[in-house]
Amino acid sequence: MVSTTRRSEQNPPDGRRNERNTTLFALLGVAAILVGWQLLSFWVNPAIVASPAATGRAIARLAADGTLWIQLLITLKRLVIALAIGAVVGLGLGVLAGLEPRLRSVLEPLRWVGMTIPAVIIAVLAGLWLGLGDVAVIFVVTVIVVPGMYINTVAGVLAVDPRLIEMGRVYGFSRRLLFKDVYLPGIASPVIAGLTLAAGIGVRAVVLAEVIGAMEGIGYSFSRANSFLLTPELFAWVVLLIALMGGLDFGVLRPLRRRALRWRKAAG
Amino acid sequence: MIALQNVSKTFESLKVLNDFSLEVPRGQILGLVGPSGVGKTTVLKLITGILAPDAGTVTVADGIIGYVFQEPRLLPWRTARENVAIPLQTRGMSKIDARAKAEAWLDRVGLDGFEDYHPAELSGGMAQRVSIARALAVEPLILLMDEPFSNMDAVLKESLLHILKDVVAERKTTMIYVTHELLEALRLADRIVELTPDHGVRELDLSDRAAVARAWLAASLEGLED
Repeated sequence: MVSTTRRSEQNPPDGRRNERNTTLFALLGVAAILVGWQLLSFWVNPAIVASPAATGRAIARLAADGTLWIQLLITLKRLVIALAIGAVVGLGLGVLAGLEPRLRSVLEPLRWVGMTIPAVIIAVLAGLWLGLGDVAVIFVVTVIVVPGMYINTVAGVLAVDPRLIEMGRVYGFSRRLLFKDVYLPGIASPVIAGLTLAAGIGVRAVVLAEVIGAMEGIGYSFSRANSFLLTPELFAWVVLLIALMGGLDFGVLRPLRRRALRWRKAAG
Repeated sequence: MIALQNVSKTFESLKVLNDFSLEVPRGQILGLVGPSGVGKTTVLKLITGILAPDAGTVTVADGIIGYVFQEPRLLPWRTARENVAIPLQTRGMSKIDARAKAEAWLDRVGLDGFEDYHPAELSGGMAQRVSIARALAVEPLILLMDEPFSNMDAVLKESLLHILKDVVAERKTTMIYVTHELLEALRLADRIVELTPDHGVRELDLSDRAAVARAWLAASLEGLED
């Protein structure tokens, strides 16, 4: 019989300690921002920079009269719909183009156009074509999000190990199994990176689109606060946007990444 | 039975096989030797059908093929057990049976206790043993091995050669064993065919294996003495 030596077991407490350290340093980063902001607000005219305290009061006021929740939900709805459409379109086209070089060549100029047109131009055109509101905002965010998703997916498909595909064919893997067990796990990492990137770009795009092409939402509220020189409210919307991004990252993207890349963690 | 008749295969502009013929009867262990780039792996891939010949015919009479690649080629996101079980499931075996069978084969190649490890947690030699377990678990009638022991130590290689011999004898499996180590082939094979860089095919006379081994060793020592 073949002799074997067992590798030492992994040490889970170490992993947990690392995670705690990461959280601690992240909190330190947040504290540094708050302290810097507070110090800045001592020196600068409050009409230009609202202090953290004034911003906090503005958030509480907006939350109490319901404005905050309504505007947040409107923006969140637009963002989620646009990200979902953008992710599906980018992923679908990316998989097809990754597998079929001719389609990749056809899509190349389109990708280039999508990546180089400034977001503001897309937003202005969307307002012109689709009027103010949900459809225009969702259109803008989708168009801006798709190229990044597409590029990452194509890169992922092209990086799938051809030797594993060959192995699958030798052992009679069906197309479905090849897709599920060779391609999909192979592209998970770049696709999730693309999704994270898309969420970040999407938040910026949705605000831009709402400033230009909507009468509701966080972007519109921000723009309105700016027009009326309501500086604490202006800062409140910025903080809320950051919180929205944080919520998306911690609530959706990180769990997704953890789930998809479980095997990497197991492999240490 | 496996038969390749007047097969030619070119990659880009490189002609790897030229009018190549080979017949392997059921139950034979064929050693396929020769330096790198003479088309040994190409012969195996033609037999599996993942490559098609440019000219000539490839006939494979018996069904199921087990293939041990030069590298383990395991799915990194699957455990050792799943890597062995998945090809069984593609043949219609239930998940429970496939897993039980996978465990039995992992045990046989000395990996008892490592069923839940992912490939990255295993050493190169251990991963290759998973790949050998995967090839044997499908109960192949044809076993194709492409330099399967290149990253294993001598003791391990020895015990795996024993297992292979047993399995092949039990089931009358046809085996093609590709290697550039003639001694390895001499230990295992019923018959040895050597491919040469000029598209030549030479069948070695194995009536005196010791003499063949001595000649090969003498040839490889020549370089050292210079």
